Amino acid sequence: MDLLAHLDAYVAAVDEASFSRAAERLGIAQPLLSRRIKTLEAHFEGQLFDRSRRQVAATELGLLLLPYAREVLDRAQRLRHVARSARQSAVRAVGVPADCGPAALARIIRAGADHGTTFAVRELPPEERLAGLADASLAYALVRVPPENAVLRVPLGLASASADGPGAARPAASGERPRTRRRTVHLEDLRPRRGSGGRSGRSAAVPVLTVAEEHVPYARDRLGRAVARAGLPESAVRAAGPTAAALAETLAGQAMLLCAEPFARRHGARWAPLADISLHRGYDVRAAHRDRGPVQVPPWLVALLAAAVGAAAAGTATAAAATAGEDVPSRLAARG
Amino acid sequence: MTARQAPGPVCVADDAELFEVAETIAAEWAAVGIRGAFLARHLDTGEQLGFGIDELVPLASVAKVPLALVVLERIATGALDAARPVVINPNASSVGPTGLAAFRYPATVAVGDLLHMMLSVSDNAAADALFDLVPPREVDAQLRAWGCAGIRLRHRMNRMYECAAGAAGNDFSLALELAVRDDHAGRHPIETLDPDHANAGTARGLVDLLARVWRDELGHPDARAELRRLMGRQVFTQRLAGELRADTLRVSGKTGTFLHLRHEIGVVESEAGDRVAMAALTRSDRRANLAPDIDLAIGTSARLAFEALRG
Repeated sequence: MDLLAHLDAYVAAVDEASFSRAAERLGIAQPLLSRRIKTLEAHFEGQLFDRSRRQVAATELGLLLLPYAREVLDRAQRLRHVARSARQSAVRAVGVPADCGPAALARIIRAGADHGTTFAVRELPPEERLAGLADASLAYALVRVPPENAVLRVPLGLASASADGPGAARPAASGERPRTRRRTVHLEDLRPRRGSGGRSGRSAAVPVLTVAEEHVPYARDRLGRAVARAGLPESAVRAAGPTAAALAETLAGQAMLLCAEPFARRHGARWAPLADISLHRGYDVRAAHRDRGPVQVPPWLVALLAAAVGAAAAGTATAAAATAGEDVPSRLAARG
Repeated sequence: MTARQAPGPVCVADDAELFEVAETIAAEWAAVGIRGAFLARHLDTGEQLGFGIDELVPLASVAKVPLALVVLERIATGALDAARPVVINPNASSVGPTGLAAFRYPATVAVGDLLHMMLSVSDNAAADALFDLVPPREVDAQLRAWGCAGIRLRHRMNRMYECAAGAAGNDFSLALELAVRDDHAGRHPIETLDPDHANAGTARGLVDLLARVWRDELGHPDARAELRRLMGRQVFTQRLAGELRADTLRVSGKTGTFLHLRHEIGVVESEAGDRVAMAALTRSDRRANLAPDIDLAIGTSARLAFEALRG
């Protein structure tokens, strides 16, 4: 006898005070429901329902057993829940930044399957990835840390409208000198130019947009400082709304987007790295703490995540050069 | 005179057109993150435009102008000899990036040349050598005797360095951070940023002083003439003079820079005979030593005001 199915029939019939409505609720035929209740009465050796009246009613025994029957059903329900969430937690979620390439993320999922683990990637802003590790809703995550002591360093640069159409690498015409110089962006280059042309318009600096991935306190503070020291108002940098809108503004030539190179290339934008590598992204790959203590991150996963975020080849970044040789005391005095 | 509540500071001007110029300048300042006071006054028509003109602001090196005027008055009246030699010893002199303050060996300089160093390159050591001859208390008393409301002198120049270094221990970024933060909180651990304890002035008080010097209404004629001459020797042109550099114009000014303060007062004179006195007293949240766009905003304001007032 399937005790749970039989108890279901009994409890439903009491709740509905009708065999037909109970059958309907459980989605079974009424004869089957009646049969189950009879089997149950035989099992308990007593009538559960008084069938002599027009409306079925529980007997004294039927009412006495009811709370126990409900408890058995509740516990069975909870058992199923636990089983399901245990099944789900076998999927190991990996927290990644929002701008990773889909193909690179697919490689992580496939590699997981090859290693016998079901991986899911979840795109989250930095602080939610940290929180996910803390509450173990993420098994692994890329965590933002200052680049100089990070395991992975991702060069950040400015994406801008491509001069020759999306993705077009201008082929050098025969006789023309090849263009091989790789440009880096220095923040002070972004100051609006004075002089011819600029005079009447007095155009402001082209704004630099930042995405959620950059909204980490240390990174925000560094960027703000660097921008001020480059002679720009801190308002020259502003947080972008949705990434698509920020990209649209960038591709329309009205802004520049602070992002990693693969992201810019995927969307047909021109990109040049920031010269100040202390402003680049730094990541550690961390695992959620389990009861048994910290979990090791498999090296193959670190390598795949590095590729997904566009990390540079290993090499340590050095912090911004100290203001060596400057006359510090006199900067604190009245000047001019 | 009209006074109307604008978004931000209260603008003042003598007619609607000038009022609009004041509002334009206030808006440009807000756009680059400057707070503060601005006043420009035509010295012959008396027309003026500006905002925040009665706000008391720490003067930084702008205080060297009233100091110079009082020293020059002493010289003109024979109480002090311009040729008197003063020994400046680097071990004991005031901190600063220019002039005698940057000297590494003892120098002997006459009082008259200390005035030149102080006003041309904002020399802190020269200024404090003069304060040693005419203490802040006496400068302040002379200003009050002249009826110069809206300017208070209370300390030597090096007091600014001492207070900043005392609060931040020779860390410029930290001192700047403290200055910006406390500006918003209205507290002043760097005492020389507190208008109630610093050398302080209002835009109105400073323009009044310049107007009286240029209109020959204050003190000894020789003192006024020498102050006008020396202020014309200033080497810094990045602020008031930034957009007014032409052979047909002359800008006589004195800048003031300390942490987040960027000031200048001065008089713009044209070949055509227009004379406009100005004071731009600014504070900002910029965490940088140099802020070229703020300097430029002061320069464009000066040009806008000059062109509007000369008519």
